[in-house]
Amino acid sequence: MTATPNPTLSTLDRFWLTEAVRLREEHAGPLEDDEANRQARAQGGELPELIEYRALWLARRDGLLIGLQHWRQGARLAGLALALLAVFTGAGLAWTALGDGARPVNVFWALGSLLGLNLLTLLGWLLGFVLVGDSGGALGRLWLWLSEKLARDARAVQLAPALLAVLDQRRLGRWLLGLGVHGLWLLMMCSALLTLLALLATRRYGFVWETTILGEGTFVGLTQALGALPSLFGFGTPDIEQIRASGTLTNDFDSARQSWAGWLVGVVLIYGLLPRLLLMVFCLWRWRCGRSSLRLDLDLPAYRLLRERLQPPSERLGISDAAPQRLHAPSAGAQLNGSEGAVLVAIELEPNRPWPPRLPKSVADAGVLDDREQRRRLLDQLTRFPPQRLAIACDPRRSPDRGTLALIGELSRCAASTRVWLLQAPAGQALDSRRLQDWHQALDGLGLAHSSSAPMSWLESGHD
Amino acid sequence: MSKPLKLAVVGHTNVGKTSLLRTLTRDASFGEVSHRPSTTRHVEGARLSVDGEPLLELYDTPGLEDAIALLDHLERMERPGERLDGPARTARFLESSEARQRFEQEAKVLRQLLASDAGLYVIDAREPVLAKYKDELAVLAGCGKPLLPVLNFVAQPGHGEAQWREALARLGLHALVRFDSVAPPIDGERRLYESLALLLEQSRAKLQRLIDDHEAQAAARLSEGYRLIAELLVDVAACRRSVAGQPKLERSAIRELHDAVRAREQRCVEALLRLFGFRLEDAAAADLPLLNGRWGDDLFNPETLKQLGVKIGGGMAAGAAAGAGVDLMVGGITLGAAALLGAIAGGGAQTARHYGNRLLGKLKGERELTVDDAVLRLLALRQRQLLAALASRGHAAMEAIRLDAPDDNTWREGKLPDALQRCRAHPQWSSLNPGARLEQAERQQQLAELLINLQRN
Repeated sequence: MTATPNPTLSTLDRFWLTEAVRLREEHAGPLEDDEANRQARAQGGELPELIEYRALWLARRDGLLIGLQHWRQGARLAGLALALLAVFTGAGLAWTALGDGARPVNVFWALGSLLGLNLLTLLGWLLGFVLVGDSGGALGRLWLWLSEKLARDARAVQLAPALLAVLDQRRLGRWLLGLGVHGLWLLMMCSALLTLLALLATRRYGFVWETTILGEGTFVGLTQALGALPSLFGFGTPDIEQIRASGTLTNDFDSARQSWAGWLVGVVLIYGLLPRLLLMVFCLWRWRCGRSSLRLDLDLPAYRLLRERLQPPSERLGISDAAPQRLHAPSAGAQLNGSEGAVLVAIELEPNRPWPPRLPKSVADAGVLDDREQRRRLLDQLTRFPPQRLAIACDPRRSPDRGTLALIGELSRCAASTRVWLLQAPAGQALDSRRLQDWHQALDGLGLAHSSSAPMSWLESGHD
Repeated sequence: MSKPLKLAVVGHTNVGKTSLLRTLTRDASFGEVSHRPSTTRHVEGARLSVDGEPLLELYDTPGLEDAIALLDHLERMERPGERLDGPARTARFLESSEARQRFEQEAKVLRQLLASDAGLYVIDAREPVLAKYKDELAVLAGCGKPLLPVLNFVAQPGHGEAQWREALARLGLHALVRFDSVAPPIDGERRLYESLALLLEQSRAKLQRLIDDHEAQAAARLSEGYRLIAELLVDVAACRRSVAGQPKLERSAIRELHDAVRAREQRCVEALLRLFGFRLEDAAAADLPLLNGRWGDDLFNPETLKQLGVKIGGGMAAGAAAGAGVDLMVGGITLGAAALLGAIAGGGAQTARHYGNRLLGKLKGERELTVDDAVLRLLALRQRQLLAALASRGHAAMEAIRLDAPDDNTWREGKLPDALQRCRAHPQWSSLNPGARLEQAERQQQLAELLINLQRN
């Protein structure tokens, strides 16, 4: 298995395989595609190219590509068989129209058998084309049904629906089908015309027309009307005398033989072969246009998901600066020498919170600590005059960050004993129990006592 | 291809930096989010790309926790008689030993911010403006990079947006963005990137491209979501079970139908969650109030008959159905033959066989079970509710979405969309039925019609 997909695949084949892989994933669940995605991402390019690359890679891996080749082989054989059939049918048409020359040829019978079926099917095709928007739909479905029945390989089972889906995209199906149908008819008419020429060249035919109820004028008019267009291209038309003569019982065929033959060939060429040729060229042109404007429909759900994998809109870059083994941990302590008095201090309270609460006379209020200067001033003061008991009030709605814990630790080192007062939430608000839990853990880690009730009696007397 | 824009997401601990990253990257499992402080202790990046071209790199950083002490420390870095500017001071700090010890986390943040084009300073707007936050901003300003404050948690009550605005203005930060990472506003991302573009003029094109792509993706996700819901509704509406007329069998068939519909709804929920990049446990649906199912006599509903090629006008359809009922009672032969002929004329031998089978079942006393209209309405409402919730949900949200039955009875009333009525007559359109044909063009047409209907109201 090589990494690059077969470069000989045509655009249509690529779309076909991509669609087949999409259908397969839709029906049988996602394929194992890590490697395919990686290869596609490494390839780079626009999203449709990546999707196609991935699909072709998967198709190659899963044997869809071989399935496609078998398919094409089959299609080529079938096409060949149809073409042969068309050639023989055409020759047969001409042969039966002219007969073996033993009897004079009835021109209108010959014309009918040469052109009748052709024109009828052409009319059908045109009607279908104009009236039923999805011409070829019925045939396509028939073909789908057939291929479903005939598919021997489970992996290739999505190939036929995929082709239909691709062809449906730009209504390409009708043009491809039209191309096929008109091509076959063209072949048939060519073969008929050649046979006609060969027969006319090598046999002697007399031409008559016959009628029971119609008048002579009808035939004269009809012949001239039909011959008008071919005569522009240089084909001869029998003159009125010749036409009249061909209708009589006692006619000598010789005089009008060549003009009738020219007329017949011209009519078959112009009304049988030319329309098919023009339509075929038209279909071919539309088919080519449509084929070159084939696009992947990126709005399809499957491709939207693929986009996330092939061109992830967001991807993680990983850790660029790893976490340390352990974080710097603040510590608490106690100042045992020469401490006296009791102090209450609060850390980082909201400005609109009433503070301080009513304090006993023996307890000093150190206010609310927020910025650096306040901290430094208090720490200086406490270091100089360490208190016996220090209560630190914290709002447990803040998060217990290292800075705050370090401050609590530093304050605790200035007092003989320290307690932390975790304030209740103001009226109408509730504490986050998980955050309270974090506070408990952090303070336990510092080894400081804490409670949610005001430690006033402890501050005042030293015991609860 | 130019280098992507680099942004450091910085801020105090526990303000939702990782949450913001989750929402901006639509990656619900990026990093780790918890209520504890210092949850993120490393720097982790994520890249946003458009069409394979990386446009933006976002770096999640540890929270700043000790800015007051750090600012003190930084100010002591200056030697006597020396004047250092912010970046020089920061650079000197990063080389010092404290940058590897007490201030290791802070050093990580500063290092990342120095390596980035700008910083998003995330603020928990519920917090009062404390001195430590101002000191944090002073420390960060020392990196000499533009900072865009992002007010997080503004969707919750009791936030102090006004105070924050004022305080930030005093610090010279006039541009700021409200962005709730749990419930981001619809245009939140656009505002964020547009504000960034004001700070980083040279990256405007990149940011604009990101905005456009993200909005296109959001619209595409929404319509894809509606498509998934339409598929669900078609599948459930066309679901059909044939049951022999015995109470015990009927009960088990109802149970089986119930399970199938439940499982189908769950599939839709999961597909929606996957579409929006959420985890499968992010939504849970309450049980469906599926009572008894619906004993459908759809065999004679106008759509079924139309499907058979029998063209009947609205009024005549009822008469025909009644006549067919009488026919059925007296033997059912005439209508069967007529219907079959009609079917063949209508061009569907397959349809005819199908109809014939159903008719045969009818004659044998089988009953047909389908899903009640009310359940369809409920499914539509519930899934649309989920879709709306997912579209406005941030990837930082931790709570699961709960899908309850709407309390009011509005979903029981009103007419079902025509497309769903038509689906009733086409069991082959439901993936819940055997022999489903999901690719049929008519089914796709009903899907498209339903999609428009869903999007409209």
